[in-house]
Amino acid sequence: MRRVTGSLLAALVLGAVLAAAITMGSAHAGARSAKKTTLTVWVGWSARELRVFKGVVADYQKKHPELNIKVVGSINDTKITNAIRSGNAPDVVSSFTSSMVGVYCGTGAWINLQPYLSKDHVSLNQFPKTTLYYTQFKGKRCALPLLADSYGLYYNKTLFAKAGISSPPKTFSELTADAKKLTQRSGNKIKVIGYDPYWNFYSGNFTDMTNYAPLFGAQYYDSKGKAVLASRYAWSKLLRWQKSLIDYYGYSNVVRFQAGLGDEFSASNAFEIGKIAMMMDGEWRVAFIKAEHPTLNYGTAPMPVDDAHKSWYGAGAVNGTIIGIPKGGHNVDQAWELVRWLTTNDHALAKFSNGIRNVPSTRSSGHSKELKPDPRFATFVRIFNNPHSATAPITGAGSAWNTLVGRFTVKWQAGKVKSLHKGLVTLDKQIDKLNAQQGGGGVP
Amino acid sequence: MSQGAVAQAARLPATARRRARRKAAWRRRGLVLLLMSPWLAGFSIFFGYPLVMSGYLSLTHYDLLSAPQWRGFANYHYLFHDDPQFWPGVRNTLWFIGIAIPLQVAFAFGIALMLARAKLGLGFFRTIFYLPALAPPVAATLGFVYLLNPATGPVNIILGHLGIHGPLWFQSPGWAKPSLTLLQIWGVGNAMVIFLAAVLDVPQHLYESAELDGAGPLRRLRWVTLPTISPVILFSVVLGVIQGLQYFTQAYVAANIAAGQASQAGDTVNNLGYPQDSTLFYPVLLYQAAFVNNFMGYACALAMVLLVVAFAVTSVILWNSRRWVHYTGSAR
Amino acid sequence: MSSATVPLGTRSLTRRRPPASVRRQRFLVAVANHALLIAAAIAFLAPFGFIVLTALMTNDQALSSHLWPHPFRWQNFADVFHQAPILRWTLNTMIYSVLATLGLVISSVPVAYALARLHWRGRNAAFLIVLIALMLPPQVTVVPLYVMWTKLGQAIGFHFVGSLWPLIIPNWLGDAFSIFLLRQFFLTIPDEYLDAARVDGCGELRILTTVVARLAKPAIAAVALFSFLYTFNDFFLPLLYTGENPSRWPLQVGLAQFRSLHQVQWNLTMAATLLVMAPVIALFFLAQRAFIEGVTLTGVKG
Repeated sequence: MRRVTGSLLAALVLGAVLAAAITMGSAHAGARSAKKTTLTVWVGWSARELRVFKGVVADYQKKHPELNIKVVGSINDTKITNAIRSGNAPDVVSSFTSSMVGVYCGTGAWINLQPYLSKDHVSLNQFPKTTLYYTQFKGKRCALPLLADSYGLYYNKTLFAKAGISSPPKTFSELTADAKKLTQRSGNKIKVIGYDPYWNFYSGNFTDMTNYAPLFGAQYYDSKGKAVLASRYAWSKLLRWQKSLIDYYGYSNVVRFQAGLGDEFSASNAFEIGKIAMMMDGEWRVAFIKAEHPTLNYGTAPMPVDDAHKSWYGAGAVNGTIIGIPKGGHNVDQAWELVRWLTTNDHALAKFSNGIRNVPSTRSSGHSKELKPDPRFATFVRIFNNPHSATAPITGAGSAWNTLVGRFTVKWQAGKVKSLHKGLVTLDKQIDKLNAQQGGGGVP
Repeated sequence: MSQGAVAQAARLPATARRRARRKAAWRRRGLVLLLMSPWLAGFSIFFGYPLVMSGYLSLTHYDLLSAPQWRGFANYHYLFHDDPQFWPGVRNTLWFIGIAIPLQVAFAFGIALMLARAKLGLGFFRTIFYLPALAPPVAATLGFVYLLNPATGPVNIILGHLGIHGPLWFQSPGWAKPSLTLLQIWGVGNAMVIFLAAVLDVPQHLYESAELDGAGPLRRLRWVTLPTISPVILFSVVLGVIQGLQYFTQAYVAANIAAGQASQAGDTVNNLGYPQDSTLFYPVLLYQAAFVNNFMGYACALAMVLLVVAFAVTSVILWNSRRWVHYTGSAR
Repeated sequence: MSSATVPLGTRSLTRRRPPASVRRQRFLVAVANHALLIAAAIAFLAPFGFIVLTALMTNDQALSSHLWPHPFRWQNFADVFHQAPILRWTLNTMIYSVLATLGLVISSVPVAYALARLHWRGRNAAFLIVLIALMLPPQVTVVPLYVMWTKLGQAIGFHFVGSLWPLIIPNWLGDAFSIFLLRQFFLTIPDEYLDAARVDGCGELRILTTVVARLAKPAIAAVALFSFLYTFNDFFLPLLYTGENPSRWPLQVGLAQFRSLHQVQWNLTMAATLLVMAPVIALFFLAQRAFIEGVTLTGVKG
């Protein structure tokens, strides 16, 4: 009896010690030091880009020694939502998915910034119109843009010269012709691909087609908020073009080719090592290439556009990083000061833009003398400011409707859809039902 | 109750005896209550209460960021009529229970049979077949997705040397579930050990009398081995079905890693069910609804349906088992 | 089983040697059986082999069609520790496993005993409910439980979601599988032991802690082993509750996230995979008998 109670007691003591260790650990993490206020900032960047952000924040830290700013990277929307739900939210939070603003603003997860904007007389005119669209939902502004993204064409000049192509394509038919010329194969195996339009490949080809929509002038929703992919002819044009190019390569050949490629954000990025001749990507790629493959001979240009709308050339898809203050935070005033500085201060935006090569999100910072000129990056600034450039619509259902579109497009490219029109009609119905069921009709 | 107390009580007058017995009964009930208390508390808090809450929440629209909004049966209507991923989720889970689990049981049994007949190195072989079952599911899945990479994975490379054009494995909707099945079969160690013990336990004299009656090896398998180990087969099947209804980890990890190979686009994309919903099992669908899309009320509706199905399927199997399972009078 | 189970009442039989043709046939069957076993064994070991080989390659080699590392890059294992906080993940896993297993044993033994050896009116109904709880997929209760932990955390001011506590605490209030297993085992304890203790004047509680606990050591060891294994391998609930708090990730969650943190490097990912598999396999070789006995126990008594 004594032996059993003895070992039992020992086990319980061990357990209690372990339990105390963890509780103390987590309590300590939340404690604020007596003198300084700790501000926690969550961002999606990681590795090199995170370091740049931390450098920008350090400038603010120098001006505010009473604060202790802690930056956490590699954050995604699931983590943000879970943290706010559990009351564990940081003071400032930022997300790459501007379409989530429908959820964040609609549910009040990020606080309404309008009172603070009015109090400090922050003029919304300094932000370009598109950025104002994706930082509010149904009139509630709960976010501000923190640098923006635009998508354009990257092309390998060496491969162009070898194939005898002198300038980048301006229409999709030119793109297709060039892609076929630039592709190198041995039998069925693709060695170098001219242009890879596979839905879900790297960051250029989101399955919800948002990056291609502005190039065809395709609209997802009508003014009443109903999905119109079936009735807008632009979608069929886009999907048929995409599939015809995939079929040219051979669907399973493309899949096999992609499976052996390096990770998009690693130094083995397929474009950077010359396995892809032309690629649609965001403006950040310029900084990545400079850091990882500075000798790569490449150029940037706007993406080609639909042959029927040649005048739209120069436009592209646009979105950006959004930043806001989650509800339940303790230091809202100081958090707001930091957010305001990050989003409106010319020096902050210019330094950040130089570092990660994202587009400055205010008009004044776009003209700042601190910006380091780069002709290849300048393409993206022009795309961002082009009047035909557009961003994805925002609904209160968050990104669930994008998932629905994505389901369809991946089936389509695999050849599993018999009738494109019927498929799109069904897709429209599904999107409408989802938006009705889960809140927030589509916003044009 | 102790013998001493009983003996004492027997010497008392009738009323005192009755009082003593009632007191003893109360003490016994108190003891039972004390011993059962952890489970009673655990059951109410972690089983009873959530079940009731799940039912209530399934009738609301709830994202945990604002209060639940009453919706009546709208969630169920959307579930059965409008959710384009619901029936694929059901089909995938049924596929798993109908194909992967029986294959798993068959392989476990088959390997156990071979081991039972092995003259040399039983322990050595048993260890080899058991080891993969020890690999944590996440690690095993990561390994398999890499091994079955259609372009650079060792399996397709070796198949290529043999002149066979390897399939796209986890990148193909037709091959994704078979790839997961291969992973399941790799991990049959636990079931195999149980089958081995059961097969070795079959009394030898049953085989001998069957042999005397002229039964060949196949007949002996069908009429001696199978009936005798039928309780173990039932156990494996039931366990497999329960596993199938909860199948999440391998599907989640495989979808994310395989999609990562195809898209390499970081984790801002929802890759669950990759490719083309072929790995979207019911538990994965539920997870997506609750924790990716934040449709908590809808997820509870999915959970209620799962509850009913789990109950129905297990009852059917257990009832059906009366016909083909022979208990040999072991202690129950 | 011996080949001479002689029924009572007959003279002892001597087995004659089977004829040569039968012996040859049996020999061929045995060879075929062994050949199949060896082939299957190779198939089962091959994945381990390839994982080890990949873990020793450079990143570019892992992406190429070479099967053999050239050169052997042993420092991949060290690199894994630099790239990811493996030690912290291991600590989290240990905290979860040890505390959960402890609570599970302490709380399940009394319940199993009450269900097995005490006679009371609701006993069979309670056992039936335990069985039902066993069959229930955790996904059925996961959403309300998550809501409960969130709300509780907001009320108290302690962040349950984002910690390991929602994983540990339920194990201190009984676990259906352990209760089931222990109950089956307790049923096999002969009454004589318990009656002898009762005659000596032991109260029921004392019987439980002295006689029963000692007799049931193999079953308790098996239950503890399974619980440790289960919590070590657990992914779904830890993903849910610690997902947004990287400092509390256990090993499995960390491993699954290993790729997005550091842009898939397959050689390092395979090295990390091996490191995660290693403790369990090592534990197996140390406690082989307890493992196999425990697994058999579940199947035979179940």
